[in-house]
Amino acid sequence: MIALLIPVLMPIAVGVLLMVFPPRRKVMLAIVFAALALSLGLAVAVALQPEDTLRLTLGTVAEGLTFYFQVDAVGKLFSVLVAFVWLLAGLAAFEYMSHEHDEPRFYGFYLIVGGVLAALCYAGNLFTFYVFFELMTLTSAPLVMHELTHEAIMAGLKYLFYSVGGAFLSLFGLFLFTAQGTELTFTAGGVLDGATASGVTLLAVFLMILGFGTKAGMFPMHGWLPTAHPVAPAPASAVLSGVITKAGVLGILRTVYYIAGPELIRGTWVQYLWIVLTLITVFMGSMLAYRENVLKKRLAYSTVSQVSYVLFGLSLLQPVAFVGALLHVVFHSLVKNGLFLSAGAIICKTGKTRVDELKGIGKEMPVVLWCFTLAGVTLVGIPPTSAFVSKWYLATGALATGIPVVSWLGPVVLLVSALLTAGYLLTVSIAGFLPGSDYDYAALEKHEPTWQMLVPIVALTALAVLLGVWPGGLTALLTGVASSVL
Amino acid sequence: MIGNPILLLLVLGPMAAGVLSYLIGRRNKALRDYFAIAVTSAEAVIMLLLLLTGGEVSLSLPGVCGMGLSFQLDGFRGIFATVTAYMWMMTTIFSREYLAHSRNRNRYYLFLLMTFGATMGVFLSDDLFTTFVFFELMSMASYVTVIHDEKPQTLYAGGVYLAVAVIGGLVALMGIFMLYSVTGTLQLSQLLEACEAAFPGNEAWFYVLGGCILFGFGAKAGMYPLHVWLPMAHPVAPAPASALLSGIITKSGIFGVLVLCTRIFAENAYWGFVILLLGVVTMLLGGILAIFSLDLKRTLACSSMSQLGFIFVGMGMIDLLGEENALAVRGTLLHMFNHSNLKLVLFMAAGVVVMNLHKLDLNDIRGFGRKKPLLCYVFLMGSLGIGGIPLFNGYISKTLIHESIVEYIELLEEGHSVASFAAASNATLFHVIEWLFIITGAMTVAYMTKLFVVLFVEKNRDPAVQASFEAKTHYCNRATAAVLAVSATVLPILGVLPYLTLNKIADLGQGFLNGVSPEHAVNYFSLTNLKGGLYSIVIGAAIYLLVIRLGMRVKQPDRTYVYVNRWPKHLDLLELVYRPLVLGLLPTVAGFLCRCLDYVLDGLVLLGRKTTHRQLREGRLLPKGFEGAYLLGSFCDGVVALLNATFCKRNPIQADFVRFFADQSRIYDETKREVMSGVSFSLMMFGVGIMVVVIYLLVV
Repeated sequence: MIALLIPVLMPIAVGVLLMVFPPRRKVMLAIVFAALALSLGLAVAVALQPEDTLRLTLGTVAEGLTFYFQVDAVGKLFSVLVAFVWLLAGLAAFEYMSHEHDEPRFYGFYLIVGGVLAALCYAGNLFTFYVFFELMTLTSAPLVMHELTHEAIMAGLKYLFYSVGGAFLSLFGLFLFTAQGTELTFTAGGVLDGATASGVTLLAVFLMILGFGTKAGMFPMHGWLPTAHPVAPAPASAVLSGVITKAGVLGILRTVYYIAGPELIRGTWVQYLWIVLTLITVFMGSMLAYRENVLKKRLAYSTVSQVSYVLFGLSLLQPVAFVGALLHVVFHSLVKNGLFLSAGAIICKTGKTRVDELKGIGKEMPVVLWCFTLAGVTLVGIPPTSAFVSKWYLATGALATGIPVVSWLGPVVLLVSALLTAGYLLTVSIAGFLPGSDYDYAALEKHEPTWQMLVPIVALTALAVLLGVWPGGLTALLTGVASSVL
Repeated sequence: MIGNPILLLLVLGPMAAGVLSYLIGRRNKALRDYFAIAVTSAEAVIMLLLLLTGGEVSLSLPGVCGMGLSFQLDGFRGIFATVTAYMWMMTTIFSREYLAHSRNRNRYYLFLLMTFGATMGVFLSDDLFTTFVFFELMSMASYVTVIHDEKPQTLYAGGVYLAVAVIGGLVALMGIFMLYSVTGTLQLSQLLEACEAAFPGNEAWFYVLGGCILFGFGAKAGMYPLHVWLPMAHPVAPAPASALLSGIITKSGIFGVLVLCTRIFAENAYWGFVILLLGVVTMLLGGILAIFSLDLKRTLACSSMSQLGFIFVGMGMIDLLGEENALAVRGTLLHMFNHSNLKLVLFMAAGVVVMNLHKLDLNDIRGFGRKKPLLCYVFLMGSLGIGGIPLFNGYISKTLIHESIVEYIELLEEGHSVASFAAASNATLFHVIEWLFIITGAMTVAYMTKLFVVLFVEKNRDPAVQASFEAKTHYCNRATAAVLAVSATVLPILGVLPYLTLNKIADLGQGFLNGVSPEHAVNYFSLTNLKGGLYSIVIGAAIYLLVIRLGMRVKQPDRTYVYVNRWPKHLDLLELVYRPLVLGLLPTVAGFLCRCLDYVLDGLVLLGRKTTHRQLREGRLLPKGFEGAYLLGSFCDGVVALLNATFCKRNPIQADFVRFFADQSRIYDETKREVMSGVSFSLMMFGVGIMVVVIYLLVV
């Protein structure tokens, strides 16, 4: 089905055209909005097709290396999520980027990355996935470096260094498995033969986890996140944190559940080391976020921690935890985009970047801080918001594995991290809403952003909260996926 | 949705009304106040009708919040849901006058009604998941009502409240995870059987999970050592919020502990013993703190802590007594009920004082109540009730809990093997506990006497102030007066007619606690029981005279007395232990470790760039060539840096030996090359060669 390429190529083409022939600002924004909305429409349209029709082979590069697309439930979920978040963050960028230079370049690359991500979600074998993974890194680097200050360029280089280094680690697995003559099509439950797995196979799987884990900010390869996020424009950090880290999650998910197979690594050192790394990341990220004063950097460390919740859920190789992990992918995407866009609104309207400057900000921009607060409460996991549901699944899943120590230590770490999350997010809200009885109400100026920024923030927050109350459909979908791979 | 949607209305209705009141309040403040009163009153009426018509109502919402919510209205939950609605109705009416001149009232009403709905959710919940969901919502929403005036000490106290709530909530959640993993159900109706089946073999797991859940719910219930928020948050909150906090929100914590005591650890003597000891410490400490407190609302808050300690003692006895726990069950339930009503009255009375004076220190408010018969009546009813004076409601429930201890001692002395381990079968210990119980009751009498005497008997030190106090005849409006009078009159009615009122309530609610009616009805006004009350009064009078009159009042030069703080300033669990530990030590140590981990890879990259992948410093391109020169130069630079850092701090040596040696090396190389490429050099070498050959030939 060649139509599968439309959601991939359309945004890329529009993005390239925008950069080559930059139109007037109003026209450009209209085109960008139309392209983003169309992408979402296409992603939904693809998601509504039956799975067996969504296959596409594009040709072979070399022996065993074929460009092949196939869309399963996971791909559908990720692609719709990506397109949705892309649309909202793009809308918020309209106001944020109006103060910045070189807008066409930003929107151009923004659209291109959107297209590449769609391809990433639809990729049907490891080779295709790897190609688009690298492409995503390269095309998203200009978003990080957008401001072109010395700091931004250095951060962009660090982002490239880590991403490319990580991708090389995963390349090892691709080489090894292809050399062994294995067809690396994504198949639920894995394609590698667990019985003949040698030490080298396990090592390759581990390196692939580590490599894709770089994008997901897993310790020890998380260093790019807190550097790249604060310098990127807020809409870019929002999608970087909310979506591109999830591409790393998708990479690990495909590696473990669709190539290696969960049975291959169950009970081996790979699984245990992986669990330990995720737990370290969960705790370390929250702790550093708690001690960080720059708001966007705080949110970046928070992402380090939260994405590893997802990886922890995946590493347990247990159906309930798996559902929790994928739920957390969705919820964290929504929440973190909401948070970053709120932070962007604050930076854009008041120029304040540090947490200790935010006293009374809730009086100046109540809607934004309300959303920030609700998103924060969600991320802490206060019921009935969404992250509570995913954490419930993660923790009960962990307890059900019966792995010694980890089965109870995991939930404990998750809860300690939730406590720290409360410490680093709710304190912002408290200082923002409760400036104290001596606050000068007379000098109060409203700084609320326009609807272009408010609509995405409110929509993301509302979804994040409401999906927690009615997660039924999503849970059912993911339970189906879990039973197919485990 | 399966079941009767009325329960959903009871829970979500107030929350929706909260949002609505916020919207109304942006247009019309008066209308908002009346709207909130109408909503709470309507809810109270509905609850009362549901309770009186009897019958059990249930509702389950599968899939909501992942696990599905379920609600159930039975006797016990009906009673406390009704108490909740009743208290909210009263305090909302009172709020209108109390907050008439305050800022941010829209926010207050929004969160007041949110807290209302959440508290109803806790008391109507039918599984621990639902309980927890609404418990957390309640904690979060009530925080905003606590910090209403945003003064620095309010924000500080509110921070402590929120911190304890969040930590407690997360620890409880861990316990619930563990419980769910071992029993597979959280339904209150199935937990008893499920836990009995799962307990053997999993004892350690069960005690840990029990400890976690106890931590979370006990923190809300003011249990030692997690009581720290209680004496701080109550004084700073607006009086209606304090009344709710103390009267009903602490009871939601008790609700959770009750589930532990009657479902998860039903008739487990070890568990009961621990709860009993915690209760004894809590009630004693609360009483002592209340005696020493010089702040009207803080005294009441410490009193709450002490009364909650009584309830914990009752819950401990429920488990210790096993099958014969009828008295303990009824005493616990009734003391919960009575304490809610008492604290409603007392905190609203205190609120009237604060509303007029904006002060809480006993020396400042002294004499305010003189010549104010209504306030005096209200406060007196509350004081007598909480002091456990016969013919008032507090007496009935305290007597029941006391009787349950006596019953246990009798069982021990008769040699029934009620206890399975040594400590719990030590009759002397329980005699001590019995006396501590009576003494704490006496403390209640003492500190309530202190408050009553200060407010209504003594005169202010400053006669002018006293005159202004007495001139203030209009100190509250009619609505507030009516609320105060009604809620205060309930107390003696309950106390005088216990057989018609409190006994009925106990009959209605005891089923939830797996209790049965006692074999023979308790005669509350028998001589033995009256004797307990009498002991309390006598000892209380002694404590009042000795400790408060003699110890805490100091005579001033102008022959007046002031009350002074005798409590050691630094003896504060929060400031002494918790704050340094939670905000200082732990984050510092863990933060340092995490920072190290954070730098692992960046550090490796940096190390690589400094050593094997060394990059040349910008603007100082070093000449390539002789590596020995570079090493030598680096070495000399190092020595210079060392010298500059130590001996030559004043006049640092400005020298760059790397460049120096590199230059030298380059000059040497160039010279060498020039020399060696010249023809003369070749000729010279040729000559040298010939000379060597000639000498060789000559020698040989």
